[in-house]
Amino acid sequence: MGNVLNLLIRRVWISLLVLVGVSILIFLIARVIPGDPARIALGPNATDEQVIKLRGELHLDDPIWKQYGYFASELLQGDLGTSLYTNRPVVKDIAQFLPATLELVFAAGILMVLIGLPLGIISAKYEGRFLDNLIRVIALLGVSAPSFVWAVILMLLFAFFLPLFPIAGRIHTDFDIDRTTGFLLIDTLLVGNLRAFVDALWHLFLPAFALALSGIGQAARLTRANMTETYRRPYIEMAHSYGFPGWRVARKYAFKPSLIPSLTIIGLDFAAMLGNAFLVEAIFAWPGLSRYGVAVILRKDLNAIVGTVLIISAAFLIANLIVDLLIALLNPKIRYARRNP
Amino acid sequence: MNDLTLEIIDLSLSFKGLMETTKVLHDVSLTIGQKEKVALVGESGSGKSVTARLVLGLLQAQSKTRVSGTINFEGKDLAWMTARERSQLRGTRMSMIFQDPVSALNPVYRIENQFHEVLKRKRPTISFDDARVESMAILGDVNITEPERVLKSFPFQLSGGMNQRVMIAMGLINEPTLLIADEPGTALDVTVQDQTLRLMHDMVEERGTSVFFISHNLGVVREFSDRLYVIYQGRIVEEGKTEDVFANPKHPYTRALLAAVPSITSGDTISDAINDTSAFLAPREVH
Repeated sequence: MGNVLNLLIRRVWISLLVLVGVSILIFLIARVIPGDPARIALGPNATDEQVIKLRGELHLDDPIWKQYGYFASELLQGDLGTSLYTNRPVVKDIAQFLPATLELVFAAGILMVLIGLPLGIISAKYEGRFLDNLIRVIALLGVSAPSFVWAVILMLLFAFFLPLFPIAGRIHTDFDIDRTTGFLLIDTLLVGNLRAFVDALWHLFLPAFALALSGIGQAARLTRANMTETYRRPYIEMAHSYGFPGWRVARKYAFKPSLIPSLTIIGLDFAAMLGNAFLVEAIFAWPGLSRYGVAVILRKDLNAIVGTVLIISAAFLIANLIVDLLIALLNPKIRYARRNP
Repeated sequence: MNDLTLEIIDLSLSFKGLMETTKVLHDVSLTIGQKEKVALVGESGSGKSVTARLVLGLLQAQSKTRVSGTINFEGKDLAWMTARERSQLRGTRMSMIFQDPVSALNPVYRIENQFHEVLKRKRPTISFDDARVESMAILGDVNITEPERVLKSFPFQLSGGMNQRVMIAMGLINEPTLLIADEPGTALDVTVQDQTLRLMHDMVEERGTSVFFISHNLGVVREFSDRLYVIYQGRIVEEGKTEDVFANPKHPYTRALLAAVPSITSGDTISDAINDTSAFLAPREVH
């Protein structure tokens, strides 16, 4: 286990370095977008004096490295500045919108694992047969259409024509739930309102499924590809020659060694969903961070843009870190790399 | 009823392709008695390995294979068994040793887990600890001095020779009546191969296990087997006691095969007898 700990420490360091790099990059990019943030924030009726005053307060006239210095020292104190659009601290905005998105993305990630991996396993086990072909078509459909297309289709089919699911929002307006964590599934349970919990789950399903579909397809295809290759390995034949039951061979001999590439992709997809969620959020009126991110970009709300991007980058890095750790735990060659006899 | 461990009568196998079917075995017949070590010798592509897989019942279920003929294992016809009954024989009454021991063991499980899996074939309820005790004992039999460490290892942490011993131990731990060895140790270097083969020889002698030994290596076959069959393009071309065949090869293909073994002492270059293949399809010779 010592190796895994070393690996973890090394990866955390690298992740922190990457985060610093991202903060510099996004800071620079946000500053070179044309247009005056102070002017946009104050609106068309503001006087030049007001604009100059706000530019001063925002340090917009200082050299850019100095501006980054202000930004970085505030960032270290957990302060991302004030949003020019909502006039509230960016940290507060993010704290309000992030849980909704995380809830959506977690749900989609769980669907990806629970549906994508088994589809891939079944597909590989029945390679070349009807079930395999069916799953491959489904997976290809999932991969080939972007999630917002699925969002619209699913919404039309299962919320509009067949009103099985609610059409939009996170929870029915009748429920008044205290937002302790911001995660409705948790908050409803905290107040012990089971009906509200089920309702929140009901609202969550369609957007999460729409968001997960391309990931499900990808996970299924990748798992299938790796497993069919593993099935040609000698140790599979050895397992068959010992008469191990087919599903046991599939799970212990073909799936586990093939899981690593699938995990990598799922981890990346998982983080990418944070950014990609905005169209799904827009379609399902989901009050999440992605929608907030798009709104602040359109308004050139510098502090909010930088804050949102930093949070999403950090989520990417954390997802990658977890995946690397899982891979290290799964792959004995990494776990025992330096203890080779 | 007879007391043969394995009896193959007129076994034919073809693979169905898109356009035509390819026949890979032509009326192969062979027998292996109790405690007998029998080799099937031939070049690659001659049908040795598919014969072994047919005995294990691994190819019958595939949709693109056509099998005819009889395989009697301990007097029972495999063709009359269900797929389930055939799979119940595997790992318990017969087991197989593979060419490359490193890639034939599961890379992501410890050796002890793999032993446990194998032992569960015969005794489904055996506990992990009991399995460990038995594995330790048999690893001692294959001259592994640190069974504790080996059991805790993953295959990639062990040398090829170690893995080969592990595989021999796994093949024999359920005391099968028939051990099928498909080119065992060909992937290892010659000295290690020799060591492990001697070991396997002693182990099966001790336990009275019949061995179906598949090889292209005449030197190895000569040392290991009691009787041998020579196979060429899916046909048995010569059979007999090992020493008889080596002393007096009758079939042109067998002679070419023997001549193809490079000799260190004679100084001759490799014989070119193998290039004249016209006579190789001559009828079968029996000693």
